[in-house]
Amino acid sequence: MNDRRRNLFVLLAIGAAIVASAVVILTQPTKLGLDLKGGVSLTYQAKPTKKTQVTGDSIQRAIDIMRERVDQFGVSEPEIQRSGTDQIDVSLPSAKNADEAARQVGKTAQLYFYDWEPNVLGPGCKPDPTNSAVTGGSNAGGTTAAISKYDAVQRAATCKPTSTGQETNNGQYYLVDSKTKTVLAGPQLTLTDLKQEMRDHTPIPYLETATRKVVKIPAGAIVVQAADTKPADDAFFVLADQPALTGTDIKDPKQNFDNSTGGTGAPTVTFNFTDKGRKTWQKVTKQIAQRGSENNFGGNAQSSFQHFAIALDNQLISTPYIDWTRNPEGIDGSNGSEISGGFTIKSAQNLANLLKTGALPLRLKLISATKVSAELGKAALRQGLVAGLAGLILVSLFLLAFYRVLGLVAISALAVYGILLFALVKLIPITLTLPGIAGLILTIGVAADANIVIFERVKEEVRAGRSIPVAISQGYRKGLSAIIDANVVTFMVAFILFILATAGVKGFAFTLGVGVLVSFLTAVLLTQAVLGTLGGSGVLSSRGSLGAQSDAQRFHWDFMGASRWFFSLSGVILLIGAFAVGGKGLNLGIDFTSGSRVTAELVQKGSESQIRDTLAPLGLDKAKIQRVTGKEFKSGEAFQISSRKLGRGQRVAVENALSKRFGGGQYSFQFVGPTFGNTVANGAIIAIIASLIVISAYIALRFEWKYAVPVLIALMHDLLITAGVYALFGFEVTTATVAALLTILGYSLYDTIIVFDRVRENVPRMPRAAFSQILNRSMSEVVARSLATSLSTLLPILALLFFGGTTLKDFAFALAIGVLSGTYSSIFIASPVLMHWKEGEPAWRKRRARIAGVNDGVVPAFATSVGGASTEVNVDADNKPRKRLTSPDDPNRGVDRAEWDSLVRDLHADAPPPVRDEAADLLPEDLVLKDEPKPRAPKRPRNSRHGRKR
Amino acid sequence: MGLLAWVMMGLALWHFAIFLPDRFWGGIVGSFLCVIVGAALVGFIVSGFTVPGTNDTTISTALLGIPGSLLGLAFAYGLGVQRGNEALEL
Repeated sequence: MNDRRRNLFVLLAIGAAIVASAVVILTQPTKLGLDLKGGVSLTYQAKPTKKTQVTGDSIQRAIDIMRERVDQFGVSEPEIQRSGTDQIDVSLPSAKNADEAARQVGKTAQLYFYDWEPNVLGPGCKPDPTNSAVTGGSNAGGTTAAISKYDAVQRAATCKPTSTGQETNNGQYYLVDSKTKTVLAGPQLTLTDLKQEMRDHTPIPYLETATRKVVKIPAGAIVVQAADTKPADDAFFVLADQPALTGTDIKDPKQNFDNSTGGTGAPTVTFNFTDKGRKTWQKVTKQIAQRGSENNFGGNAQSSFQHFAIALDNQLISTPYIDWTRNPEGIDGSNGSEISGGFTIKSAQNLANLLKTGALPLRLKLISATKVSAELGKAALRQGLVAGLAGLILVSLFLLAFYRVLGLVAISALAVYGILLFALVKLIPITLTLPGIAGLILTIGVAADANIVIFERVKEEVRAGRSIPVAISQGYRKGLSAIIDANVVTFMVAFILFILATAGVKGFAFTLGVGVLVSFLTAVLLTQAVLGTLGGSGVLSSRGSLGAQSDAQRFHWDFMGASRWFFSLSGVILLIGAFAVGGKGLNLGIDFTSGSRVTAELVQKGSESQIRDTLAPLGLDKAKIQRVTGKEFKSGEAFQISSRKLGRGQRVAVENALSKRFGGGQYSFQFVGPTFGNTVANGAIIAIIASLIVISAYIALRFEWKYAVPVLIALMHDLLITAGVYALFGFEVTTATVAALLTILGYSLYDTIIVFDRVRENVPRMPRAAFSQILNRSMSEVVARSLATSLSTLLPILALLFFGGTTLKDFAFALAIGVLSGTYSSIFIASPVLMHWKEGEPAWRKRRARIAGVNDGVVPAFATSVGGASTEVNVDADNKPRKRLTSPDDPNRGVDRAEWDSLVRDLHADAPPPVRDEAADLLPEDLVLKDEPKPRAPKRPRNSRHGRKR
Repeated sequence: MGLLAWVMMGLALWHFAIFLPDRFWGGIVGSFLCVIVGAALVGFIVSGFTVPGTNDTTISTALLGIPGSLLGLAFAYGLGVQRGNEALEL
């Protein structure tokens, strides 16, 4: 296929793709993430129970149950998926009942039925069924006979362990304070979990002291909270952990009303029994009825009624009695049963729903929670789109100003890129998050970079005297390797981020990766086809139309000579950074430190101190309160209240207190547990190390291993300078910062690869030059290109910085520092390090000494030659098979008259290549006559310790 | 955080090694490795075989990176001289 046909084919294919994309864009909905549409995002860590280990199967069962629970609340488009080996992510968009669904979705919902009186344990951990001071008598399960949690734990700790097989756990751990007689943490199934809970909930670290002790309750005893109490109420019982029935023995639970004769009409939960459950129910209620009958010594029968208790997740929810006078043989379970007492319609519905979906096979620990109000989400989306548009406009203006007609072609390619990428986002579909939008905006820079690399090459070829069609063809051929290298590296970094990073960053990585692939298609294939078609036309007839009208474009500056001063500059910046890290430290966000954060956008203006005063009665006087400003807030500002973990009740209390004091507000909430924080931190470290290894391996393969080490040093330089700037200015380090740092790795490499690519090209072309001269020459050739690519990347980042809203600002700031540092380090760190290292090699030392010898002991900054002879050889005269073309209209070649004429013109325009003179670089002693045998190298003596003496 | 401060200090000081004649073992890269390892190792030893956390890192922690960096640099230079590395005039 000749070039013209290939170009036509590419244009038609991309035209068809644009039409298909337009159809997709018009017909498919855009899937927005919770940060853009509002909602609740929860991450749970699964923990094993006595009967179930954390496996793929058990997690999937838990997810199925959770999905059913969410469906019961009618929340549309929920997303529940496994994350890592033991985590479950739940995303519930803003909708009616979303809060309630979020509250219920992770509940274990273990339901147990206990025969009450024989199982309530009194002093000495002994049952006392007839003692109403222990059982509560007619107020069984209520607060009358309940004891404090501290006493209940102490009592349960004295029980002897049992192993009947009916126990619901293998023992539980609590942390108690004997001085204040309070329970600080628990119950937890392991000591590790107890320590973690301490870190989550309380400002005091886990520590055993003289008064603070870990108490283990053995298997067979359990502490339950009294019925009709609130979570904060201190009323508990100790039970022998021998449940008669469990949640698996019931079916068809429903919310109902007590409409029986003499019924109260109050909401209840009714249910049926399974076959096994029905038999057990009859048996247990018969035992209870008989015990009641035996305990009746005349008088009021009701005073001898015995009870059974229903407990859900260690909380008594009902303790009904069995009327032995009406059911002396127990209650037939074929008509089911009901749970009553203290329900509202909603709470009865919730319980029925929980029982309907069944208990989760695993315990779920909430390790991260984020709630974004729908208004904030919409504002964030609007800002993201504005930033994207601004980035596109800025890059377009830049391309137009620098590359004229070529710029127009690049802008068209960018527009096509935008259409294809948006269609892909809808088609896959990619859930668009705020970091995802940032990724899309950044890929605008990637797409423009590829064009800049090629266009600068084209301009170079034009300035070297090539005709425009040949320059275009050569520009693409020579520029492609650098683009492939840079895109492969960026894609690999995006892939590593996607595999290792947390959910929010995954969205960024995915869009970045897809964007890199699409940009390669549009920035290389499309523009090549367009320019190939335009090349012979009048549109690209003058050098000015390419922005290459001037010849004096090359910098002639001794980059390598000046490197020591730039090294010093970097050293000073890093020194300041090191002191900033030491003195001020990094301001780690709650993604890493764990805790809760409420973002409050208040109706009436307030100050930090007013907010602190308002929250002091809630025990949050030591909370970190910070004013944040941003266009996403209607009033232009909001307050972030960061503290230790806040429970749902505490969070609601905070919101109520602030609304009352400041006339209402919009609230977002974020909680990150230490487990999640550790996951984020470890993921970040692994991602950085993995990126460095992959990048090094790739550079070593594509160049040589000595090129990889300066790249790593330059990357380290960029990352540490960014860290230093963060420490110096106190910017918060979040997961987005980590994503930015990893992206910096990719971008920093882009520049370095461009420089090294040219060095690789120049080394065989300059066989008589020192390595420093080759580097100076290479830098002079590519510095404009390097600066242009950095600027094209920086422009969308600046758009993010100025238009992207509070969340993206930090991200954009880290990227801006990284891109600037990356450009600087490519030129002034990586290249000089490579020079120093290579110049130390014997071959280069020898060459350097020879050059110094003929230049009065000085090696000039640029390669020069005596008598003005060329210092270069033409290595473009490669060994590729050549095609012979002797006449136009050759049917085998498919070349028409116009193309033939164009080729002839080009051949006349291009200077004939100089013949490579290999002998020119050799020393006289190295020269041998053609018919004289080359002297053989002397044989090396054998090792005297191992061989014979010679 | 302490490790970050030491490594940053090491990297900062390594940049000034460019003013010394390059007789380092392994050249400029060898000096880099020795400085970073030296800064981290000596910082770790002087801190009592612990790495100060976020709350324990101070300016003096960062200063602890200096002796290790200089020792690392001296080590790389000494080894280079011992191996007969000739100074590279650049």
